[in-house]
Amino acid sequence: MSKVIDSLPSLARRSDAAYLDFVEGFREFILGKGADFEDRLNQALVDEAARRGQDWQDVEHIREFVQQQPLGCLRDRLARTQQEMKWHALVRSFDEQRAKLVGELEHWASRGPGDLLLDPEFVPPSYVNVHFHLQPGGYFKDELSGFLYHWGTKVFFRGDNDADQLHARLTRFVPTPADGRVLRILDMACSVGQSTTAFRRRFPEAEVWGVDYSAPMLKVAHRRAAMLGDEVTFKQALIEHTGFADEYFDLTFAFIVFHELPLRVIEETVREAARVTRKGGVFAVYDFARTADKSPFQRYHRWFDARHNGEPYSQDFCDCDFDGLLRCYGFRVDATPLGQRAGGSGYMQNWFAIRE
Amino acid sequence: MSETPEGGTPLADEYPVYLPDPVVDAAMRMIVELSAQLWVERERRMVTEQLLESRGLLSREDIESFKADPTQVAAIKAERARFLEDVFKELKRIPVGPTHSKSG
Repeated sequence: MSKVIDSLPSLARRSDAAYLDFVEGFREFILGKGADFEDRLNQALVDEAARRGQDWQDVEHIREFVQQQPLGCLRDRLARTQQEMKWHALVRSFDEQRAKLVGELEHWASRGPGDLLLDPEFVPPSYVNVHFHLQPGGYFKDELSGFLYHWGTKVFFRGDNDADQLHARLTRFVPTPADGRVLRILDMACSVGQSTTAFRRRFPEAEVWGVDYSAPMLKVAHRRAAMLGDEVTFKQALIEHTGFADEYFDLTFAFIVFHELPLRVIEETVREAARVTRKGGVFAVYDFARTADKSPFQRYHRWFDARHNGEPYSQDFCDCDFDGLLRCYGFRVDATPLGQRAGGSGYMQNWFAIRE
Repeated sequence: MSETPEGGTPLADEYPVYLPDPVVDAAMRMIVELSAQLWVERERRMVTEQLLESRGLLSREDIESFKADPTQVAAIKAERARFLEDVFKELKRIPVGPTHSKSG
């Protein structure tokens, strides 16, 4: 067993692990080829558009059609249920060992390598008051939010990221600046720090920072990094106001965060990235792909995910001109669809932007 | 429908109903839950049987003839209550009244 997997806390019971193993498999079945909901519902949408003699224009019309189909209703029921089952099992398992897990976080808080910089005066802004992905308490209201998130994403990635393979691969794809200089790296909205440590391993001499507003996430991130022996610094701050000096970083990174921000904060975060990234530096973003180019069912799924999976800001992000926003704040953009599966084939995209 | 803190797509209620009949909706949730419980038990039995066999500690007959003492009975009943809550918690989510609650 790898050290990465060891950084996941044990569940209270073997039955909890078996239950989550079921949820992981069930998720794969209903979202993949097992139940084959996506292809069948998409074909029904394509056929209906042909029958009507026009393409689907508005997601509201797509929604009306899908929710009139028994298969669509069933698919939505099951998609919601598997997510609820995951959190139900995780919360109960962690509640049974809450004191021990809180003690674990306290144990590692003052140990290195690396540092944990929490702000006792920090007040979360109202826009984060969302139970993203239906996670009870959202990202910061439960002292064990970080552990819950880490386990939740393990199930989300359906076993493909148990040893942080995804984070290692995605950070490896990020291009270096043309002059090759990578002395300082910022991981914006680092959550439990899987990308942060991956960058440290790729650039072992670099000063690597992870920033997030959630103290429970950062405590888990620091514990995990310290257990792995990765010397990185985690700081509690808003990604739209990081507090770093102008042009401090050679490489700035944001992994699946923009779709969880209101449009106002999306723009403020791009502006902050432009401020802290040096000229010639790289701002690398992985996030949900634009819906405009997607199949009718994928457009439906984006709406469903926003409304029924606690992603209220995601549809606005997927509909916005993110490339234009990056250009507006001085980035030259290279955007491509992401070929590898990461939460669903074709659902993600990368933007590798150069600060001009 | 729940408003968000700052714009975006309004969120669904805490317990949305997706199928036309809320009772069928709950039944579907219970079927999935039962499947999970079945898998949990099957996985445990497989592990147990493999351990017993590999270590030669118990025979199948020992399991069949097992009589629980009062402490063990209490533990089994507590586990049964947990099982019932897992599977049938959905019954508490069926809305009262004949109208169809749409997920929206």
